[in-house]
Amino acid sequence: MDWKAITDGGDDWHMTDRLHAEHGKGDPFAAAIRATRMAMLITDPRQNDNPIVFANNAFLKLSGYARDEVMGRNCRFLQGPATDPQTVDRIRQALINRLDINVDILNYRRDGSSFWNALYISPVSNEAGELQFFFASQLDVTDRKETEHRIAADKERFEKAVRERTSELEASLDAQRTLLHEVDHRVKNNLQMISSLIVMQSRSIPDENIKRSLHAMLERIEALSTVHRRLYQSDDVSSFDISDFIRDLVTDLAAATGRPSLKTSFDLDPIVVPADKATPVALIVNELVTNALKHAFKADGSEELLTLRLFRRDDRIRIEITDNGNGMPAANGGSSFGMRLVRSLARQLQADVMWSDAAPGTRVTVGIPETIGGA
Amino acid sequence: MSSVDSRIEPMRVLIIEDEALLAMELEGLVEEAGHTVVGWATSSSEAHTLVDSVEADLAFVDIHLSDGPTGIDVARYITGQKCSMAVFMTANPKRIPENFAGAVGVIAKPYTIHGLMAALQYLHEGVRHPPPASALPIGFTLAPPYRTSWAGSS
Repeated sequence: MDWKAITDGGDDWHMTDRLHAEHGKGDPFAAAIRATRMAMLITDPRQNDNPIVFANNAFLKLSGYARDEVMGRNCRFLQGPATDPQTVDRIRQALINRLDINVDILNYRRDGSSFWNALYISPVSNEAGELQFFFASQLDVTDRKETEHRIAADKERFEKAVRERTSELEASLDAQRTLLHEVDHRVKNNLQMISSLIVMQSRSIPDENIKRSLHAMLERIEALSTVHRRLYQSDDVSSFDISDFIRDLVTDLAAATGRPSLKTSFDLDPIVVPADKATPVALIVNELVTNALKHAFKADGSEELLTLRLFRRDDRIRIEITDNGNGMPAANGGSSFGMRLVRSLARQLQADVMWSDAAPGTRVTVGIPETIGGA
Repeated sequence: MSSVDSRIEPMRVLIIEDEALLAMELEGLVEEAGHTVVGWATSSSEAHTLVDSVEADLAFVDIHLSDGPTGIDVARYITGQKCSMAVFMTANPKRIPENFAGAVGVIAKPYTIHGLMAALQYLHEGVRHPPPASALPIGFTLAPPYRTSWAGSS
């Protein structure tokens, strides 16, 4: 074959083939391609079915085929049963559109064993822009792919475990929420029933003293009821807003007296305490307020004012209950059951309770240490 | 205790409540306030029969009845008849649907005696001469449709 004719035809790879065969050396680039450990192929798209027209030794070593078994064939013989058809299609599209492509594809050796092939294909055109051939390189990346697959499988297993555990925890949380709901419901219903029993019993008793005792008992239970109604109104069942409670309780107690001359005034900072303090605080406030409503005022129709203040001072939560009534000289609450209750509950909270002259009237101040029993 | 304003006609009241003790007490309080209890039902089927057979102005409806959480359907049935109002009475106000199934509102259990009497007076005014002149009682929550039309007065 004439050298020039081959060159003009653009069959340069044939030239290098022959140079190698006939002269043992030639174009250093061609020699490099022959000798490299990177498997390489050249195909000719101008021939029918884009056959292989060059394969280097590294490719033959990788695929296990002899040179005469691959020359003139389309590369698809490298595909096998587990080769991804979508990947094959991507390659086909790239060839049709004359674009570069790099993909990982599962290929098969002559002996049927498979390997992961990191395939690079580039179209090569002449100066006139006409497509001459495709240049392809192959790298066995089976180890990397196996690691990737193992990591992906591990990840999937891990995510599945996390999903299962999450749904277990969610189910458990739902069960707990339902349980809390149920217990809350029962506590409220039982408090309501205790109140009902006292109210109904009270109706059948003629003795006014006993009636009064039962009524005081009802007020204490209603104070607990108000705590529970307030406590589970919010989603946070671990803390308790004293200001909301005081307003509800005192408004209700004052309105229940039915005395139009009685006015209430509130100056309450929003203060929240841990839920376990709610009951003693509520009972103390209830006793002090009911005591003031019963005993502080002259009951002669003159204006009666009960003022409630709630604020923080010197690391203490202070509740101040002031009336403008008779005044109780040297008042300390006396020795009634109600006042014994106040002293005991104050001790539980490590709180101090002080009576002072408000001229006119009496002021009771409860100081509750903030740190005791903490949040 | 507040008793019924003699100038306003008293109410006929239904009690839908499965706890006998609470129904008894409520009946006592309603009658003490000068109204009449015209019927008591403990389940949804009893409630339906009752609603079909007597005329009432107001029904107190517990959500949890002897046949389950059927109080919401009962309230819907009562308010669907257009002749009486329903008000929920429950320890579980979070169970109530957003539209309150047509009910006026909810009295949260546990209520205080005064809280209930105040609610009765408020509802009495609301039934006979809406909107009520009294302030919204503590522990009473109005349903959204009544928040604008009733609560303005307080």
